[in-house]
Amino acid sequence: MKVLSQVQITPSSVILNGKSISASSINGIYREFIGDYPKFFKMDSLCKLGFVAAELLLKNIPIEEKENAAIILFNRNGSLVTDRNYQKTISKEDYFPSPALFVYTLANIVTGEIAIRHKIYGESSFYVLPNPEESTMNEVVRNTFLTSSPSFILTGWVDYDNDEDYLADIKLVTK
Amino acid sequence: MITKIADNIISPLGTTTDENISAIIAGESMLERQENAFDLQEPFCASLLNRETLSQIFDKEVGQNSSLTFFEKLCVLSAKRAIEECNLSPREENVLFILSTTKGNVENLEKSLTDDRCFLSNSASKVARFFGNHNTPLVVSNACISGVCAQIAAVRELLSGKYRYAVIIGCDVLSKFIVSGFQSFKALSPEQCKPYDIDRVGLNLGEAVGTIILKAGNPSKDTYWQYVACAIHNDANHISGPSRTGEGTYRVLNDILNEVSVEEIGFVNVHGTSTAYNDEMESIAIHRANLDAVPVNGLKGYYGHTLGAAGIIETILSMKAIDKGLILATKGFEHIGTTHPVNISNQIRKTDKTVFIKILSGFGGTNAGIAYRKGGNK
Amino acid sequence: MEDLVLQLKNQIIEVLNLEDMTADDIDASAPLFGEGLGLDSIDALELIVLLEREYGIKLSNPTEGKQIFKSIDSIADYVSKNRKK
Repeated sequence: MKVLSQVQITPSSVILNGKSISASSINGIYREFIGDYPKFFKMDSLCKLGFVAAELLLKNIPIEEKENAAIILFNRNGSLVTDRNYQKTISKEDYFPSPALFVYTLANIVTGEIAIRHKIYGESSFYVLPNPEESTMNEVVRNTFLTSSPSFILTGWVDYDNDEDYLADIKLVTK
Repeated sequence: MITKIADNIISPLGTTTDENISAIIAGESMLERQENAFDLQEPFCASLLNRETLSQIFDKEVGQNSSLTFFEKLCVLSAKRAIEECNLSPREENVLFILSTTKGNVENLEKSLTDDRCFLSNSASKVARFFGNHNTPLVVSNACISGVCAQIAAVRELLSGKYRYAVIIGCDVLSKFIVSGFQSFKALSPEQCKPYDIDRVGLNLGEAVGTIILKAGNPSKDTYWQYVACAIHNDANHISGPSRTGEGTYRVLNDILNEVSVEEIGFVNVHGTSTAYNDEMESIAIHRANLDAVPVNGLKGYYGHTLGAAGIIETILSMKAIDKGLILATKGFEHIGTTHPVNISNQIRKTDKTVFIKILSGFGGTNAGIAYRKGGNK
Repeated sequence: MEDLVLQLKNQIIEVLNLEDMTADDIDASAPLFGEGLGLDSIDALELIVLLEREYGIKLSNPTEGKQIFKSIDSIADYVSKNRKK
């Protein structure tokens, strides 16, 4: 597999293709590099993280090259942060289940948000792993080419635990 | 070649694949109106497992085990029955476990928001370790299409040559969490669902677990089910609303039709949730793929939507139907209610074809499909 | 009525996460869906929750919402006539 570009976002740094970027927070990256996508503010934290990370890698790629791309992401928490927030809306005492939260209680929604933004009609898949094992992730991504021919694959680890603990470590790869 | 060597379905209709297919042929369903289930005020219609009975079966067949949740016990019980059917040695290094689930043990959040059993990979690891398997199990969490995606993940792992066998388990149990969410989406039908029908008003939820075991290499029997083609596509349109053009599902069907000819397809087993938008979307995709004449059927009228289990159990039942030369009836359907009429029926039909396509769509705009062919001496 | 309109605007900004927007930015007579604020189907469902939580109004049929959720004015009109709290 050939790596075309990569980005790593943590609460303390944003590194794009080996170079540090000044924008610090997830919202900061949105304001600096996107700014005109109000749906961003409706997303849960996992989606926001994956969305801005994907933007940094995909924004300069022509739309026609993205149509047949694939998105394959992994994490440990799944959508657990939003699961907890949704659970709070269905307590016995204060029972008003929120549809806007419920829709984000699926980890793969982040792949959908990225697909919508970049008009990616290829595969979108989400896997949950106990740890960010590089070998397992690379194996899954490499094997994707055995049954499909995406133009490239946006892949990597996108995990959100809380404001002080999150990591997006994603890359674009070709066969 | 990748072939299916064993399967199991545990649902309210039975705890073996044979019991399930017989019940469906007899037109049975356990979809019932639920009052006060999961402490919910608003009644709903669902097909629920009997937790007490199944726990007793588990204790008797597997042995008492207090470290497993009900969800995990279902996965173990179903996998065990499938593993025994094909005499697989599950601890071997060339066996991979794959779990398809949307919400796993999410019901545990009600007791504690920090319960670590809510991590999906913990459940998968527990199930794999139960069988003495130490490979890192894959958890496919792709909303409602997980069951087909898990089979696709298995096919790829087997094609790569790293593994020889894949034990694919699909399971979800219902809870206040899941049912209230679907209620907040106004997606549930108060009565038994009516896939593709003009009067359909929403879906029913259901509980089930299913296991498929796939093997790479020469088939071990004279007749066998062989993997043929698969595809996953996003609509790139909306995170919860199905595409108005059926884009993702159309692309899935199109990819699969590159590998199989229309003439050999016995039927397309659709998602058919019975929501206004899903069934309409699928009918558009089927029409765009020039499959209007091919029989289609949907099984939600027997089980409801079983989430992570749906892709697994509906694949197994499609195989069993073709084994018997049948196209299963679409229970609940009466009068076509989609813009593009599809070839659907509430009666059991006959077929001598050997290929079927299973399709699914889900939140996140995802769509998946897989095709299998029956091979060998008929 | 004016108070209710302002209250609704602020509640909608909050529950629908309309970042960078103030009550003054929303034209009470302009369409909420499609153009205008560009709300979608999930927002409509969330508005149903808002009406129930804040005003005790239960809408069981989402298509009923279509008429009510045309604009802030139409919501205010409906709420003033049907509110239970």
